[in-house]
Amino acid sequence: MDHSEASHLMATEKYLLDELSPAEMEAFEEHLFGCNECALDVRAGSLLLEHGKVELAKPAPRVVPPEVRPSRKVAWRWPSFAVPAVAILLVVVGYQNLVTLPAMKGALAENRMPKLLPAASLVSSVARGATPSVIKAQRGKQFFLPVDIQAQSAFESYVIELQNPAGGVEWSLSVSSESAKNTLPIRAPGVNEAGHYEVIVLGRNVQGQDSEIVRYPFELQFAGAANPEAK
Amino acid sequence: MEFHAFDRHYLEQLSSGDFRTQEHFVTYFSELIRLKLGKRLRSRSEVEDARQETFVRVFTKLRKEDGIREPERLGAFVNSVCNNVLLEYYRKTSQDTPAGEEDAESNIPDPGISALDAIAQQQAQESVRATLEDLSEKDRRLLKAVFLEERDKDEVCRDYGVDREYLRVLLHRAKKSFKSMYLKKMNKKDQGRNKLE
Repeated sequence: MDHSEASHLMATEKYLLDELSPAEMEAFEEHLFGCNECALDVRAGSLLLEHGKVELAKPAPRVVPPEVRPSRKVAWRWPSFAVPAVAILLVVVGYQNLVTLPAMKGALAENRMPKLLPAASLVSSVARGATPSVIKAQRGKQFFLPVDIQAQSAFESYVIELQNPAGGVEWSLSVSSESAKNTLPIRAPGVNEAGHYEVIVLGRNVQGQDSEIVRYPFELQFAGAANPEAK
Repeated sequence: MEFHAFDRHYLEQLSSGDFRTQEHFVTYFSELIRLKLGKRLRSRSEVEDARQETFVRVFTKLRKEDGIREPERLGAFVNSVCNNVLLEYYRKTSQDTPAGEEDAESNIPDPGISALDAIAQQQAQESVRATLEDLSEKDRRLLKAVFLEERDKDEVCRDYGVDREYLRVLLHRAKKSFKSMYLKKMNKKDQGRNKLE
């Protein structure tokens, strides 16, 4: 195998993907050991994959399920229960069009209107002995969490978690080091339980390991309702 | 990832035991040998043993009077020695170290992590990160499924609605992008070092 054959065959990629036949692999290796260009190419590919595994192993901020194509082997056929199934489907579609969608449109319209979200400064609650900040929101409605991160060079990115009164993690949000330079205006999804919450800021290093940096405790109270006593 | 021409001067330096030449030689061929052996041997320790044995035999030959005559065939020679080592591994023959080869073995430089290598590793990691960030989420997940999760490639391609050619081209583009970024960083580092010197 000479260089032009190797290039035409995409031999480097096939070699790294184990797609060469045994004979092709031997022929490519014989060429590879004597060709600087191909050797550099293969070594670069190997380095990419070696370091790529470390990067790809890091959790992604959002998980988007892959598009899964339905199997083409499934034959297109009408089962005997098709007619009643279609009827049920029509009822569901009708309900969605008459009830669900209008309600969603109303919510969407409401979201397009500017409004003040309940919030409080969290910084003051960090000091030892300080009373946790209080945020008065409506049950199930969004509220505002302004979070400051003291950026550190040891961390490549950050993760913000909201711990609920039961000690569980309500949600988790990934933040780049670039975004962390400014106060983060987090619009927190509404919750149904009032009580003691904590915003936990974690630093994530290059190896994907998390370290807790700071906790911002606050009391969430529902406006116009009886609230649990602050801890 | 530099290249030194495998010319007569290089061969002379290598044969005479020049440390820097030896270090370059081992570093240059180690990864190629590891890749080759990794596709054929089962464990990392077997790969490492065979890699060491390959270099022992190459250096032994280099130090003989009749040694290697054609410097431009040096790469091909390393490959053929590696093939012989593999053949013997397959046959599971004993590999007693003959008298006189002990010196060669003890003189093989260890391509371990030096301070410069550590910087190069960091540059590589950063370049890989930047390369992957430029890819779409789908392409990143595709590479993750194939290379990190080591799933069957045909199954992964089916799941993502692509064919094997797409996967090859994706790897090609990512490799090209990484190589360009990495070499640029390494050239900047070398220029900075030269200025200081």
